[in-house]
Amino acid sequence: MTLPCPWYECDSRIIAAHQQPATLIELCLSRGIDSHRLLRGTGLFVEDVPKADTLISPAQFLTLIDNAQRLLGADDSSFLFGQRLLPGHHGAASQALALANNLQQALELLGELRALLSPLLTPRLLLDEHHAYLYWLDSCGAGEQQRFLLEANMTAVVAMSRRLGGEHLPWQCHFRQAPPRYIEQYWVNLGEDLHFNRPYNLLRLPREHLTRPWPQTVQSTAQVACQQARAQLHGLGADASLLDTLQRWLFRHVRQAPNLDHAAAAFAMSPATLKRKLHKHGTSYQEQHDQIRMLVALYLYQLKGYSNDEVASHLRFHDATNFRRSFKRWTGLAPSTLLALLRG
Amino acid sequence: MPSLLHHHRLKLTALFLAANLGLLLHLAVGDLKAVAEWVWLDIVGEGGSTVLALVWLGLILKSRPAGRVTNLLAIGLSCVFFSWWIDLLDEFIRLPDAITWDHWLESAPMPVGLLFLTYGIYHWHHEQLAISQQMEKRERLFREHRLFDKLTPLGGADYLRKQLELSLQQSAREQQPLSLLVVDINAFDGINQRFGHGEGDRVLQAVTQLLLLNLRQQDLLCRLAGDRFVVLLPNTGETLATQLAGELAESLRHLAHKSRQHGERIQLSATAATVMALQETPENLLQRLNLALAKAKRPLALSA
Repeated sequence: MTLPCPWYECDSRIIAAHQQPATLIELCLSRGIDSHRLLRGTGLFVEDVPKADTLISPAQFLTLIDNAQRLLGADDSSFLFGQRLLPGHHGAASQALALANNLQQALELLGELRALLSPLLTPRLLLDEHHAYLYWLDSCGAGEQQRFLLEANMTAVVAMSRRLGGEHLPWQCHFRQAPPRYIEQYWVNLGEDLHFNRPYNLLRLPREHLTRPWPQTVQSTAQVACQQARAQLHGLGADASLLDTLQRWLFRHVRQAPNLDHAAAAFAMSPATLKRKLHKHGTSYQEQHDQIRMLVALYLYQLKGYSNDEVASHLRFHDATNFRRSFKRWTGLAPSTLLALLRG
Repeated sequence: MPSLLHHHRLKLTALFLAANLGLLLHLAVGDLKAVAEWVWLDIVGEGGSTVLALVWLGLILKSRPAGRVTNLLAIGLSCVFFSWWIDLLDEFIRLPDAITWDHWLESAPMPVGLLFLTYGIYHWHHEQLAISQQMEKRERLFREHRLFDKLTPLGGADYLRKQLELSLQQSAREQQPLSLLVVDINAFDGINQRFGHGEGDRVLQAVTQLLLLNLRQQDLLCRLAGDRFVVLLPNTGETLATQLAGELAESLRHLAHKSRQHGERIQLSATAATVMALQETPENLLQRLNLALAKAKRPLALSA
């Protein structure tokens, strides 16, 4: 199915039902959940799930996740789901991951093939001298399901690195949310290095672990799998969601301080249409813009060692006072306070 | 019809027939009252009691396995229901004054039913004691079925937190040491990958049974999360706790669990760690336990 535009939205049917959704359905069925109650409201039928051409939209998948969470009624649902996700059984994309040379290649593939491997949550890989950072950004308006998705996807990456690399890696996990009641699930699945109430959701790992060779590489098979996965992605007609595309565009143009009109022009639609589409995903231009500016500001502070004035001018604020006020609105804290907190 | 109710078809049919017979007898000799004569307060009160008696009967039959105690309770509740039912019929049907059997029908089943019920509850109590003994090492001091893990079934992390709170208070009061022990299966993810998640679940169930066998009567085993189990050890100091931890890890190493599909042995090993409780919150204690485990696991590069 080819979409009329190069991105997918929350109601575009782009997720193969027999991949991630089937994984979740199987988990629920193995716990004795009734399939009709599980699929209620999703517009999906049990007999259609195993068919290769059944596609569902992100919104349908989110409804399924909501049902699953409610019916399972356990704290470990997202983690059990996450353990089954990567490299997973998602065709060529999974095979390409499983045969990657090392963790860095696997994470780069995860980013490139995110529409196939992580359609609801965008992973963004960033490297500096000492560390690799894997940021997670909402790409389809997950709303209340965001926590489930984060737990599942972070668990998936941590479990994959352990499985394919054959060793425990010292991942550090940062969450925007407050510490959950069921912290023990985080301990068991993500390790002890957990940080809550942070301005971002990310996984961090010392860089030397990224390039250690993985044992099960088969170079030629891996290349074929990559090509097949890319062809599959091409067939999908979209390699990222609307929010994801907007976020990438904002990262690129953050120095011009673009407004809604600029973005709409770049997306070849009227400002009213863009506004309506963002509203459909439970967000707004302002929210997306603020989120990206905050991430860029923190990046400049933490990794580039910029001062307040330099960050303010980079982001096109008139003066540092204005910038500090905005920063406080984004994060709830002044830059100096937040940075002290993040260091401490 | 749910399976447990199915066993009680005879009892329910008999009760249905008796209730109908009572109704027919009343209709045969009495006259219907006009609506104006109905006393609504009595109808609501007596009708409500009748319905409730039936609900109790239904719940008892549905939730309990068939057997002696269930029969006693069912007979008792049936009599109570019948008595209230006849009482209710009076409100709609006027019997001639000459008739006295209706008083017998109304009043006689009640004391009989209550006697049966009392006898049944007394035996229920003994049954419960027997069942509680089976729950030994999985339950202490209080019961909350909603906090039980559905897989193993042991108390989950929330049940453990509540137990810890009580035990910490108790140990402070009685000046007795309290220790916690954690057992984490090594390379459990590998088992899931190699044998499937269904087999992983069965391993957890087998490990639960094994750990229970190796504990003392006063200990409490809970499933913290995933493949991590915590044992609460009342009146236990550090040396004894460490010894118990070693025993549990040893017993897991010797467990020869067989996979369901091909019957091959799954070799298990576990890392165990202990902490002794100080004057602290349950959350803090669990945190320390977790760090102790992380430290114990560190030399094991290839574990999960």
